[in-house]
Amino acid sequence: MKNTIELTLKVWRQKISEDKGKFETYEVKDIDTSMSFLEMLDVLNEKLTLEGDEPIAFDHDCREGVCGMCGAIVNGEAHGPQKATTLCQLHMRKFKNKDTVVIEPWRAKGFPVIKDLVVDRGSFDRIIAAGGYISVKTGSAPEANNQPIKHENAELAFDAAACIGCGACVAACPNASAMLFTSAKISHLNLLPQGQLEAKERVVQMVEKMDEEGFGNCSNEYECEAACPKEISVSNIARMNREYRDAKFSV
Amino acid sequence: MSNLLSYFKSSIGKKQIVAVTGLMLILFIVGHLAGNLIFYLGPEAFNKYAKKLSDLRPGFYVVEFGLLVVFVVHMTLTASIVLENIKSRTVNYNVKKSSNQRSLSTRLMPFTGTILIAFVVWHLLDFTFTDKHGDASVLQDGMSYGLYGVVYNAFTDPIHSGLYIIAMFSLGFHLNHGIQSFAQTFGFSSPTYTPLIKNISQWTAIVITLSFSSIPVYVLIQFLSS
Ligand code: HEM
Ligand code: FES
Repeated sequence: MKNTIELTLKVWRQKISEDKGKFETYEVKDIDTSMSFLEMLDVLNEKLTLEGDEPIAFDHDCREGVCGMCGAIVNGEAHGPQKATTLCQLHMRKFKNKDTVVIEPWRAKGFPVIKDLVVDRGSFDRIIAAGGYISVKTGSAPEANNQPIKHENAELAFDAAACIGCGACVAACPNASAMLFTSAKISHLNLLPQGQLEAKERVVQMVEKMDEEGFGNCSNEYECEAACPKEISVSNIARMNREYRDAKFSV
Repeated sequence: MSNLLSYFKSSIGKKQIVAVTGLMLILFIVGHLAGNLIFYLGPEAFNKYAKKLSDLRPGFYVVEFGLLVVFVVHMTLTASIVLENIKSRTVNYNVKKSSNQRSLSTRLMPFTGTILIAFVVWHLLDFTFTDKHGDASVLQDGMSYGLYGVVYNAFTDPIHSGLYIIAMFSLGFHLNHGIQSFAQTFGFSSPTYTPLIKNISQWTAIVITLSFSSIPVYVLIQFLSS
């Protein structure tokens, strides 16, 4: 059986970074509730294109919840109302017929809007470039089990590595802080033997890059953890706080 | 050296200094509370304690100056953090929902902090820089009871007591977030201990608030029933 709904969308439209931007209202009809949120936007965009209007620009790639490209604030929540879900994996059955849905881009000084719902997350790439790598001898792949790793650390590192860098943490944070992202990227390497060589440098350089990019300061409100589609834990932030202090006070 | 300078400039460094100064202020608060509770032992014990403290001067000035510095550092850094945080979101959301992770205490930090600093100024004028042997210290029997009398008279006024109690509740809210926040900022986080720390944070805040507030309530009850 096909269930369809109609919605009123209020979407942020902004031509370019320098444009002031404003909300536009659109009515969408016949939305199949088994569509994803992005498919619903596709339907609207087709209609806009046919009518000769500019389609709404939004980021996406895998549409499988693994790449981290998609994301918007939907009715005040990063990636919409469903916990631990990216926008591409959010389905329209989460909405009721005649709902009004407000769609806004991530808002942060570190994420300038490029167009409509698309923001520039280059700041995240620059944080990674500041220390989110390891130095290894390249060559043939090493034997998988020749480097013993404590089970607990392997689990924690793996959990941190689940971060897809979508930016929902920054978007949800009342201070637009990038501590959850940065701490996940640091933890995922610093917990493993391969990350030890640059462990101290890494935390210092990545934290200072994060500050430089204009993100806010963490005030331990934990909105980030609640908004994260991969449920990255704020314990990573605690680990980063500790490692940063230790790196600064060790001679 | 530049290592340390960049620590003080970094977001984490600033937060950690806020946390350390916050911890010092908590220790001060606990000491202050212990002193206040001597009020229940009567005028003689209370005034003796107050005299003992002031007899420690001038050496005590060093401690008081240190406390002032701690206060100023805590305040200026939090003010700069709050301002930076406002600037880090240039355009606000039209609709923003909280996931309910933010407790009331957390949201209110800058406000409860501001109430606290206003309170501290008022409190010093009220009980510290005041004539402890003048009219204000005279109780109903016509005798001067020193600082005990000053405090007693102040609290017989319900508005005065009310403001004092509001300030103590602000302190409670501030500490409810502050103590557990200290742990996170310093990097203690564990699935076992974090919930425990949050409980300790809450209970410490409640006990401190109620203990401080009990004194004006006690005075009011005694005054109204006499
Ligand atoms: C009796 C006095 C005070 C005590 C015991 C106290 C204690 C604390 C503690 C323990 C923290 C937590 C630090 C952390 O996040 O790890 C804190 C944070 C904070 N304090 Fe205070 N404080 C006091 C007075 C003040 C005053 C007078 C102000 C402001 C005018 C203030 C403003 C703040 C703010 C805004 C934060 C949050 C900072 C952030 O989360 O980024 N506090 N305080
Ligand atoms: S499009 Fe890849 S995570 Fe949503």
